[in-house]
Amino acid sequence: MARDGESRSFRRKFCKLCFDKVERIDYKDDRRLSRFITDRGKIVPRRISGTCARHQSQITEAVKRARILALLPFTSDQYR
Amino acid sequence: MKLYETTIIYDPGLEETRINDEVERVTQPIAQAGGEVIEVQRWGKRKLAYNIRKRRDGTYIHVKHKSPATLIAEMDRRFRLNEGVLRHLTVLAVKESPRAAEDAAKAEGLAAPVPAAE
Repeated sequence: MARDGESRSFRRKFCKLCFDKVERIDYKDDRRLSRFITDRGKIVPRRISGTCARHQSQITEAVKRARILALLPFTSDQYR
Repeated sequence: MKLYETTIIYDPGLEETRINDEVERVTQPIAQAGGEVIEVQRWGKRKLAYNIRKRRDGTYIHVKHKSPATLIAEMDRRFRLNEGVLRHLTVLAVKESPRAAEDAAKAEGLAAPVPAAE
Protein backbone atom coordinates (compact mmCIF):
# COMPACT_ATOMS: atom_id res chain seq x y z
CA MET A 1 0.00 0.00 0.00
CA ALA A 2 2.22 2.70 -1.25
CA ARG A 3 1.16 6.23 -0.58
CA ASP A 4 1.64 9.05 -3.05
CA GLY A 5 4.93 10.15 -1.64
CA GLU A 6 6.31 6.65 -1.46
CA SER A 7 5.03 5.37 -4.75
CA ARG A 8 7.27 7.72 -6.67
CA SER A 9 10.48 5.80 -6.78
CA PHE A 10 12.99 8.06 -5.20
CA ARG A 11 16.62 7.39 -5.64
CA ARG A 12 19.48 9.61 -4.83
CA LYS A 13 21.49 10.57 -7.90
CA PHE A 14 25.14 9.86 -7.88
CA CYS A 15 28.01 10.70 -10.13
CA LYS A 16 28.51 7.74 -12.44
CA LEU A 17 32.04 8.81 -13.22
CA CYS A 18 33.00 8.92 -9.55
CA PHE A 19 31.40 5.53 -9.17
CA ASP A 20 33.54 4.15 -11.98
CA LYS A 21 36.54 5.97 -10.47
CA VAL A 22 37.23 7.79 -13.70
CA GLU A 23 40.28 9.97 -13.22
CA ARG A 24 40.06 12.00 -16.36
CA ILE A 25 37.47 11.87 -19.11
CA ASP A 26 39.03 11.98 -22.53
CA TYR A 27 37.67 13.82 -25.54
CA LYS A 28 38.61 10.85 -27.73
CA ASP A 29 36.36 8.54 -25.74
CA ASP A 30 33.23 9.32 -27.74
CA ARG A 31 31.43 6.17 -26.60
CA ARG A 32 31.59 7.24 -22.99
CA LEU A 33 30.82 10.87 -23.78
CA SER A 34 27.77 9.95 -25.82
CA ARG A 35 26.10 8.94 -22.57
CA PHE A 36 26.23 12.56 -21.47
CA ILE A 37 24.59 14.15 -24.47
CA THR A 38 20.91 14.14 -25.36
CA ASP A 39 19.58 12.77 -28.63
CA ARG A 40 19.65 16.34 -29.86
CA GLY A 41 23.33 16.52 -29.11
CA LYS A 42 23.06 18.79 -26.09
CA ILE A 43 25.16 18.25 -23.01
CA VAL A 44 23.03 16.74 -20.25
CA PRO A 45 22.87 19.12 -17.27
CA ARG A 46 24.13 18.05 -13.89
CA ARG A 47 20.69 18.21 -12.34
CA ILE A 48 19.60 15.44 -14.71
CA SER A 49 22.68 13.25 -14.89
CA GLY A 50 23.74 13.73 -11.27
CA THR A 51 27.35 14.22 -12.28
CA CYS A 52 29.62 15.91 -9.76
CA ALA A 53 31.05 19.35 -10.50
CA ARG A 54 34.55 18.11 -11.23
CA HIS A 55 33.43 15.52 -13.73
CA GLN A 56 30.78 17.75 -15.27
CA SER A 57 33.35 20.35 -16.17
CA GLN A 58 35.54 17.64 -17.64
CA ILE A 59 32.60 16.35 -19.66
CA THR A 60 31.81 19.82 -20.96
CA GLU A 61 35.35 20.37 -22.14
CA ALA A 62 35.62 16.90 -23.63
CA VAL A 63 32.29 17.10 -25.47
CA LYS A 64 33.24 20.44 -26.99
CA ARG A 65 36.54 19.09 -28.21
CA ALA A 66 34.92 15.93 -29.53
CA ARG A 67 32.45 18.07 -31.47
CA ILE A 68 35.26 19.90 -33.23
CA LEU A 69 36.66 16.56 -34.34
CA ALA A 70 33.23 15.39 -35.52
CA LEU A 71 33.28 12.55 -33.02
CA LEU A 72 30.09 13.93 -31.53
CA PRO A 73 27.41 16.02 -33.22
CA PHE A 74 26.78 19.70 -32.54
CA THR A 75 23.17 18.90 -33.24
CA SER A 76 21.33 15.86 -34.47
CA ASP A 77 20.60 15.45 -38.18
CA GLN A 78 16.83 15.45 -37.77
CA TYR A 79 16.72 18.94 -36.42
CA ARG A 80 19.05 20.50 -38.92
CA MET B 1 58.52 22.18 -24.33
CA LYS B 2 55.05 20.98 -23.64
CA LEU B 3 53.28 17.80 -24.48
CA TYR B 4 50.63 18.15 -27.15
CA GLU B 5 48.07 15.99 -28.85
CA THR B 6 47.18 16.81 -32.42
CA THR B 7 44.34 15.14 -34.25
CA ILE B 8 43.99 15.69 -37.95
CA ILE B 9 41.09 14.63 -40.13
CA TYR B 10 42.11 14.13 -43.73
CA ASP B 11 39.92 13.88 -46.76
CA PRO B 12 38.73 10.25 -47.08
CA GLY B 13 39.59 10.33 -50.78
CA LEU B 14 43.33 10.51 -50.13
CA GLU B 15 45.22 7.29 -50.78
CA GLU B 16 47.25 5.64 -48.14
CA THR B 17 50.58 6.69 -49.63
CA ARG B 18 49.40 10.29 -49.62
CA ILE B 19 48.35 9.96 -45.99
CA ASN B 20 51.79 8.59 -45.17
CA ASP B 21 53.34 11.62 -46.87
CA GLU B 22 51.09 13.91 -44.89
CA VAL B 23 52.00 12.24 -41.61
CA GLU B 24 55.63 12.64 -42.56
CA ARG B 25 55.01 16.32 -43.21
CA VAL B 26 53.65 16.66 -39.68
CA THR B 27 56.25 14.63 -37.85
CA GLN B 28 59.34 15.86 -39.65
CA PRO B 29 59.10 19.54 -38.65
CA ILE B 30 58.57 18.46 -35.05
CA ALA B 31 61.84 16.57 -35.03
CA GLN B 32 63.57 19.39 -36.88
CA ALA B 33 62.42 21.97 -34.36
CA GLY B 34 63.94 19.94 -31.58
CA GLY B 35 60.70 18.35 -30.53
CA GLU B 36 59.86 14.73 -30.14
CA VAL B 37 57.16 12.61 -31.73
CA ILE B 38 55.96 10.28 -29.03
CA GLU B 39 53.22 8.40 -30.76
CA VAL B 40 51.36 8.33 -34.06
CA GLN B 41 47.98 6.69 -33.99
CA ARG B 42 46.08 5.92 -37.15
CA TRP B 43 42.43 5.62 -36.41
CA GLY B 44 41.69 4.99 -40.06
CA LYS B 45 38.53 5.98 -41.82
CA ARG B 46 35.74 6.97 -39.48
CA LYS B 47 32.27 8.26 -40.01
CA LEU B 48 31.95 11.93 -39.12
CA ALA B 49 29.23 13.00 -36.72
CA TYR B 50 28.32 15.70 -39.21
CA ASN B 51 29.41 16.49 -42.74
CA ILE B 52 32.50 18.59 -43.20
CA ARG B 53 32.95 20.05 -46.67
CA LYS B 54 30.34 17.57 -47.88
CA ARG B 55 32.40 14.60 -46.70
CA ARG B 56 30.77 11.99 -44.52
CA ASP B 57 33.96 10.22 -43.49
CA GLY B 58 37.44 11.25 -42.64
CA THR B 59 40.81 9.62 -42.14
CA TYR B 60 41.91 10.31 -38.59
CA ILE B 61 45.51 10.68 -37.53
CA HIS B 62 46.40 11.31 -33.92
CA VAL B 63 49.89 12.47 -32.97
CA LYS B 64 51.29 12.83 -29.50
CA HIS B 65 54.34 15.04 -29.48
CA LYS B 66 56.56 17.42 -27.59
CA SER B 67 57.03 20.60 -29.53
CA PRO B 68 58.16 24.16 -28.99
CA ALA B 69 55.17 26.48 -28.72
CA THR B 70 56.13 28.42 -31.82
CA LEU B 71 55.77 25.32 -33.94
CA ILE B 72 52.15 24.83 -32.88
CA ALA B 73 51.16 28.11 -34.54
CA GLU B 74 53.08 27.16 -37.65
CA MET B 75 51.43 23.73 -37.74
CA ASP B 76 48.04 25.34 -37.42
CA ARG B 77 48.81 27.65 -40.33
CA ARG B 78 49.90 24.73 -42.50
CA PHE B 79 46.82 22.69 -41.71
CA ARG B 80 44.64 25.61 -42.67
CA LEU B 81 46.38 25.93 -46.01
CA ASN B 82 46.30 22.20 -46.68
CA GLU B 83 43.27 21.33 -48.79
CA GLY B 84 43.46 17.68 -47.77
CA VAL B 85 42.86 18.51 -44.12
CA LEU B 86 39.20 18.64 -43.20
CA ARG B 87 39.74 19.45 -39.53
CA HIS B 88 42.55 19.62 -37.04
CA LEU B 89 42.82 20.12 -33.31
CA THR B 90 45.84 20.51 -31.08
CA VAL B 91 45.40 20.38 -27.32
CA LEU B 92 47.72 20.16 -24.37
CA ALA B 93 48.00 16.54 -23.38
CA VAL B 94 47.34 15.59 -19.79
CA LYS B 95 50.27 13.88 -18.21
CA GLU B 96 49.75 10.22 -17.57
CA SER B 97 47.32 10.67 -14.70
CA PRO B 98 49.57 12.06 -11.94
CA ARG B 99 46.94 11.37 -9.31
CA ALA B 100 46.57 7.76 -10.31
CA ALA B 101 50.28 7.31 -9.82
CA GLU B 102 50.04 9.06 -6.48
CA ASP B 103 47.17 6.84 -5.40
CA ALA B 104 49.07 3.76 -6.43
CA ALA B 105 52.08 4.93 -4.44
CA LYS B 106 49.90 5.64 -1.43
CA ALA B 107 48.20 2.26 -1.67
CA GLU B 108 51.60 0.64 -1.84
CA GLY B 109 52.79 2.69 1.10
CA LEU B 110 49.81 1.55 3.12
CA ALA B 111 50.06 -2.04 2.03
CA ALA B 112 53.78 -2.32 2.68
CA PRO B 113 54.04 -1.34 6.38
CA VAL B 114 51.21 -3.65 7.43
CA PRO B 115 52.99 -6.95 6.74
CA ALA B 116 56.16 -5.37 8.14
CA ALA B 117 54.41 -4.53 11.44
CA GLU B 118 53.21 -8.07 11.92
